[in-house]
Amino acid sequence: MNETENRFTPPSGTPPIVQLKGIAKYFPGVIANEDVDLEVMPGEIHALLGENGAGKSTLMNILTGIYQADKGEIIIDGYDREFATPLQAIAAGIGMVHQHFKLVQAFTVAENIHLGWDQTPKRASRQVLEARTAELAKKFNLETRPGATVSDLSTGEQQRVEILRVLARQARLLILDEPTAVLTPAEARELFRALREFVSGGNAVIFISHKLDEVMEISDRISILRGGRKIATRETSECNPHMLANLMVGREIVLADMRGRGPDAAPVSEKPILVLDKVSAADETGAPALEDISLQVHAGEILGIAGVAGNGQRELSQVLTGVRPVTSGQVFVDGKPMKGANAAAFAAFGIGHIPEDRLHSGLAPALSITTNAVMREYGKPPVSSGGVYNPRSALTLAKDIAAAADVAIPDFGMPVRNLSGGNQQRLVARREMRIADRVLVAAYPSRGLDVGAINTMLRYIVELRDAGAGIILISEELEELLNLSDRIAVLYEGKVMGVVENDNLDIEEIGLLMGGRTKAKEAA
Amino acid sequence: MFGSLRLQRLPSAHPGIALAARAAAIFIALFVAGIAIAIAGMNPIELGGRVISASFGSAFGMEDLGVLVIPLILTGLAVAVGQQIGAWNIGAEGQFYAGAFAASAVGLFVPGPQWMILILMFIAGTVGGAVWILVPTLARAYANVNELITTLLLNFVATLLVYYVSTGPWRDRSGMANSATPPLSADVPYFWGIVHWGFPIAIGLAVVVALALSFSKWGYEVRLVGSNPSAAKYAGIPVRKHLITVMLLSGAIAGLAGMLEIAGTVHRLQGGISNNFGYLGIMVAVLARGSPLGVIFSGALMAFILNSGIILQTQGLTTSVVLAITGFILFLTAIGDELSYYRITREKA
Repeated sequence: MNETENRFTPPSGTPPIVQLKGIAKYFPGVIANEDVDLEVMPGEIHALLGENGAGKSTLMNILTGIYQADKGEIIIDGYDREFATPLQAIAAGIGMVHQHFKLVQAFTVAENIHLGWDQTPKRASRQVLEARTAELAKKFNLETRPGATVSDLSTGEQQRVEILRVLARQARLLILDEPTAVLTPAEARELFRALREFVSGGNAVIFISHKLDEVMEISDRISILRGGRKIATRETSECNPHMLANLMVGREIVLADMRGRGPDAAPVSEKPILVLDKVSAADETGAPALEDISLQVHAGEILGIAGVAGNGQRELSQVLTGVRPVTSGQVFVDGKPMKGANAAAFAAFGIGHIPEDRLHSGLAPALSITTNAVMREYGKPPVSSGGVYNPRSALTLAKDIAAAADVAIPDFGMPVRNLSGGNQQRLVARREMRIADRVLVAAYPSRGLDVGAINTMLRYIVELRDAGAGIILISEELEELLNLSDRIAVLYEGKVMGVVENDNLDIEEIGLLMGGRTKAKEAA
Repeated sequence: MFGSLRLQRLPSAHPGIALAARAAAIFIALFVAGIAIAIAGMNPIELGGRVISASFGSAFGMEDLGVLVIPLILTGLAVAVGQQIGAWNIGAEGQFYAGAFAASAVGLFVPGPQWMILILMFIAGTVGGAVWILVPTLARAYANVNELITTLLLNFVATLLVYYVSTGPWRDRSGMANSATPPLSADVPYFWGIVHWGFPIAIGLAVVVALALSFSKWGYEVRLVGSNPSAAKYAGIPVRKHLITVMLLSGAIAGLAGMLEIAGTVHRLQGGISNNFGYLGIMVAVLARGSPLGVIFSGALMAFILNSGIILQTQGLTTSVVLAITGFILFLTAIGDELSYYRITREKA
């Protein structure tokens, strides 16, 4: 690539677009940021790397005026500035695209671009707004459809609208929070190209991520945060993923193939333990979400489910665990047809479920840690016998689960929402592993976790596979699927596009399947 | 420079601070009420002293409180039980009337020995309350219709139904009273002074419900459904079944309050018999933060406030003033509860 050759070099003596000096922010009992220095030069893409809770978001919230720093200075173009509100930061040319888009779904692209913008003409027809939007899209070379309603757009298109919205307000520093988390590989490449073009004119980008490879690919410099402090800033050309991982977590992390079995591991069974036979299911609104899905999972095997989020993964995991009824087709467990959706029967049959939205459906956030920990075993001895619930036995069980999950809990009576996301996920995983004698359905088990917690989670899954359970691993991280799965099925718009053996497989092919294309179609 | 002060929300309220916020809320409400009373030309301190001596200074005063506390604990419990499953039963008032109505029908028209009539009245009262919440319950369980509105609207139906029968077909034709039924054939026996056996029944029921919620498999499931229905569904708990049984239980408890009120205190059915106990039950439950054991104490507090109101009325204050004070206490308590989640931090200017 020749991007580096086009790189904008500011004349010497040019001040950084943004300079942070000694920034600190304290929350009760937590140091969110302390002593953070950061310089972003014109023309650079500056990656901000760090685990969950490293202080990336807080730092960016300070820079965009959402929080005010307890200590330190913000210097923009050489002038000391204070942002009391996000509007002041926007006026100073700092714009941010959040991980969760802030678009009005029912409005058109043009309306979203012009919403809350002082440049919006006072009296403007739809045509005028759309023409202005088309002009902006051309100016920044971001392809959009001005007249389309946002809810009809793909995630990648919505992100372009967000970026256009920020750029239209004359932002010179664009902050992107985990921008590729929701994109297909092709969409991500397109985004990178747009970012390169944006900085080539002397603007700058702060790119927040925890994906090492993409940071290596896109950035010019990398700053690493850990525990609220900045650990280092390096030229990307001097970095490699291994060293970044070390800086980020402060310890060695091995991203490696975990498909190998030890001598004690259970073999892959002859007969499948879980079979979906032409299963279809509907979503909450009654619209079809799964169509004619046929899948087989063997004991001692990991079946990966790849696909961009929102293509039926949620419904699939619910059908597999008896939470959602099927509209047609059948689910067989150990050769036995499971009639009707009955989550209790599935669980009693040895099917564990790590749900994708743990706070929404895997836990009752307001209830105690004990109550949540025993959710799968409250109905049987020792926790309950003869309908009598024994809080003391429940506490003992909760302590066992917490110990297995390696989570230190000062007070089991406190609401589970007070735990960090990683600890919640570990508790849920351990709780489910206890009952998952036959099958574990793990939906996005590493979502929202940092590298260390992801490794723990994946180790749990491998451990269970070796114990002889069949695993269905739903994930949007291709690397994770490739590292763990024996076979990978790709889900697109509720259909299985294909199931591929994970041997010498072509990543490009998976990417195409995720985008709803088969190789043959692409060639045609 | 002072810097700018900012409010920060904490994930959980410290129990000590929450308690202090409550005490402050009640104190401020009484203080403001005192000012209002002083403006009206009376001496608030002297009035306060009179209220306290009349409430606690004699067995009669204590007995009055004991009689008042029974329906308040029960209607409060009814609302609190509904909250456990995530339902707002605003219709305790209507279920109270329905229970009183059904129990009166037994007491007026079924012949038999006292004990048998009492048992039948008990059954009729609880079933009456449960029937009154049946339609809102099914509408919520099967069509997700908000129970807040349906239970509330049925209050008016029950209130008017009781007015109608007690001044119409069931009225006392002996000529003594035109707006009430004749005396019922069975009474709840006295427990202490004029306090009937409803007193230990109300407290016992609150304790039983509290125990069942904490120490039974059923209670665990109900708490989970009430806190997060999708988690309960995920755990394989029959959400709809629990919603229906718990809402019916809530209605039955309010109906029992109505039955005990007519069979223990008033001894005949008449319009306006509820004295707003059903609505006050909402306050009792909110003050107790939905805790079934807590309603015993918040019920007692509410009984004291109501009783004070009666005493104050003999001193020339109107019912509206007393109700305003009651509402003000609840209002400030709600604010205090919310504020106990915040702390003030000083930002660098």
